[in-house]
Amino acid sequence: MKTTTETLHGGRKSMHRLTLSAALLMGAAMAAPVLADDHLKVVDTPLELTVHMHHERYTSYDESWPVELAAREMTGIALKDATIGSNSKESREAFNLLIASGDLPDIVGGLAIKDNVNRYGPEGAFIALDDLIEEHAPNIKAFFDANPDLRKAISGADGKLYYIPYLPDGFYGRGYFIRQDWLDKLGLEQPQNVQEVHDVLVAFRDRDPNGNGKKDEIPYFARQWEELIRLVTLWDGRSSGSDTYHDFFVQDGKITHPYIGEGYREGMKNLAQWYKEGLIDPEVFTRGASSRDFLLGENLGGMTHDWFASTAAYNDKVSQTVEGFNFIAFIPPASVSGVRMEEHRRILIKPDGWAISFSNEHPVETIKYFDFWFTPEGRNLSNFGVEGVHWTMVDGKPRFTDEVLKIDTSVVNQMYAIGAQIVRGYHQDYAYEEQWTNQIALDGIKLYESGDYLIPDFLGVSFNPEEQAVYDKYWPSIRTYMLERQQAWILGTGDIEADWADYLATLDTMGLNDVLTVMQTAYDRQYN
Amino acid sequence: MAGAARTVVAGTAEKPPGRISRIAAHMRREWQIYVMLLPTVIWLLLFLYKPMYGLQIAFKDYSLFRGIEGSPWIGLEHFETLFQNDQFIRALKNTIIISFFTLVFGFPVPIILALMFNEIVNQRFKKTAQTIVYLPHFISTVIIAGIVITAFSPSSGIVNTILGFFGLEPIYFLTRPEWFRPIFIGAGIWQEAGFQSIVYLAAIAGISPTLYESAVVDGASRWQMMWKITLPSIIPTILIMLIIRIGNLLEVGFEMIILLYQPATYQTADVVNTFIYRQGILNGQYDLAAAAGLFNAVVAFVLVMSANAISRRYSRTSLW
Repeated sequence: MKTTTETLHGGRKSMHRLTLSAALLMGAAMAAPVLADDHLKVVDTPLELTVHMHHERYTSYDESWPVELAAREMTGIALKDATIGSNSKESREAFNLLIASGDLPDIVGGLAIKDNVNRYGPEGAFIALDDLIEEHAPNIKAFFDANPDLRKAISGADGKLYYIPYLPDGFYGRGYFIRQDWLDKLGLEQPQNVQEVHDVLVAFRDRDPNGNGKKDEIPYFARQWEELIRLVTLWDGRSSGSDTYHDFFVQDGKITHPYIGEGYREGMKNLAQWYKEGLIDPEVFTRGASSRDFLLGENLGGMTHDWFASTAAYNDKVSQTVEGFNFIAFIPPASVSGVRMEEHRRILIKPDGWAISFSNEHPVETIKYFDFWFTPEGRNLSNFGVEGVHWTMVDGKPRFTDEVLKIDTSVVNQMYAIGAQIVRGYHQDYAYEEQWTNQIALDGIKLYESGDYLIPDFLGVSFNPEEQAVYDKYWPSIRTYMLERQQAWILGTGDIEADWADYLATLDTMGLNDVLTVMQTAYDRQYN
Repeated sequence: MAGAARTVVAGTAEKPPGRISRIAAHMRREWQIYVMLLPTVIWLLLFLYKPMYGLQIAFKDYSLFRGIEGSPWIGLEHFETLFQNDQFIRALKNTIIISFFTLVFGFPVPIILALMFNEIVNQRFKKTAQTIVYLPHFISTVIIAGIVITAFSPSSGIVNTILGFFGLEPIYFLTRPEWFRPIFIGAGIWQEAGFQSIVYLAAIAGISPTLYESAVVDGASRWQMMWKITLPSIIPTILIMLIIRIGNLLEVGFEMIILLYQPATYQTADVVNTFIYRQGILNGQYDLAAAAGLFNAVVAFVLVMSANAISRRYSRTSLW
């Protein structure tokens, strides 16, 4: 008890200093680089906190990351790696191992922790952060005050906040890409609606756009077969409510699942037809992650729906071997009812981030440390690396140094290697990505920005234990059944028109209504 | 361990004192053998017996944070959930079918291979052939799955290319439920048969050459020697291997299935272990997964007990 009061007092003092300097900073100090001074110090005497930080690309917290060293210098707090399960790439598994060991480090962070901290937080494993934020974290508070819906989205079933999330920036994730040089060669225009998409794909199939005399073109392909299902949006269906495949979505305040909608039925019927006509990659279900490499590299693929930056990058890679290669984004084709919609977007808030465990003896210092990453300096540090080494301020904006931009390794991987862009709780700055994104991708994003194509994401719900039990009992089997039918309909081993009534009835007996009911209850509690 | 020691001491109280010195003499003489046994015993205790303590979570509402002791008992609820789930029943059915056919088609192959190797006269050819059939065993499952996916690809796979020579339409094998089991079982045989034949080759090597010499004197053909000498001599080995295989009957190599299956083929491909993986591990329902695993183990236990009893009754060969 005694130690807690002491830390509280000490904490309040430094909070004054922090807010004061933050206010000063907002005014004038932004332009000049802030040299080593004490205005970001969280503690007067250096403090060590242990941390579990697991991500599939960096399975432990590296204490020698330049970003960690800089943060140590600025805040006085040093993080000591205590990650469990570093020999595995499975972050959820590592988290489960950690919980099962019962011995939690001060800070628990990493990939996909939301469901777990919201499950084990109320059981006592993690501290609710609401009061701490209110009193000691002005920058985090300011962010959530400006985005109350995001706060609701990640709160636990008891309405409390158990982790500080990683907040991605930028809106656009995937877009429709097409071989513009093939269109030009065949004298076609970019398809503007679903009928034109069909016609273009037929032309790709039949008119030998790659000119090798063989009918080997794959008109539509996808790295993830789920991106084939994405096309049901062209028939006003939905394929997912978020950036996770097969997710629920919200329609007029009601939670529903995309795979029971009329648009989905209509879309699947037509996609099955397209598949039969050979407009879809016949091996879409097994070709896997390398299909984009292979089909673009071999001059076979015509159209896809994929990430702007990485897809546009093929123009640099492939143009050396395929003459005239021009793979560019085009605006979402209008659906049968005339709606242009891009279903995929970058999600606003990730299930990644960090939390404070029950055994942490310095919660106040820890939340202040978390808050540091939401200050302008902390945000720049976690986005771009160390000022003067990895970036410099140019016209008031961080700009990567030439060394960072010119090296062969991708900027993302360089950032991971120095401890920037890792899934600590921080707010990403899209400017970090914009600086090295290929012009074709930027043009594509600009094209999508010019129209209002994005739709709101479903950000998920937090269940209480009873709701969780219902969801766990029914949902995995229902999902399995849905996907089985989905593939069967595309492959033609089932007929969606004939099966539909049966399909809905089966979902009913499998408990879909119970799942939707608990989701609705949780949703109403959380967002209203 | 303590219990065993006590029994020995208690036993000695009633027996003539000669026994304790007999045991001491035995230990003095044979202690190296017991030391050699020790690592295996420790391994068994640590990795097979100790985890059994955790099996109780199958009857609990298990929370990782509360731990095994802290989680409340809920009786057979998880088992009820499982048996109400059609997909679990289907997975159970698939497991039995896949295991049964793996046994029927997979079990004789290494025996036949061993007999064939035994008949090869050219030693060099024999060595090379053996190495070639062993090799797939040492390739990682992920790579085997990659080879299978490529071989059965409708556009570039060798299987469909061969079908093409006969004017047949390419088949998208890996999305067809009716093809999944033959492909999976075939790939398993291809991968393991060579390695499994080593046991039988060793058994054949142990047959006394005098049997063959006298058979040659009697004018027996090679075929007759194989049927009348080699095969009967390795029957005990075959039976032991069969009992062990039956014990592992429900342990389908699910890594391979996860790599090869699709929602489109779940119908025939989904086995208990893949069901556990999807339902239990991916969703963090360890209690339910433990219940399914425990059920699997109980069935396997019954199977191996029955096989052992049958074998002892009819051939006097048994595991214990």
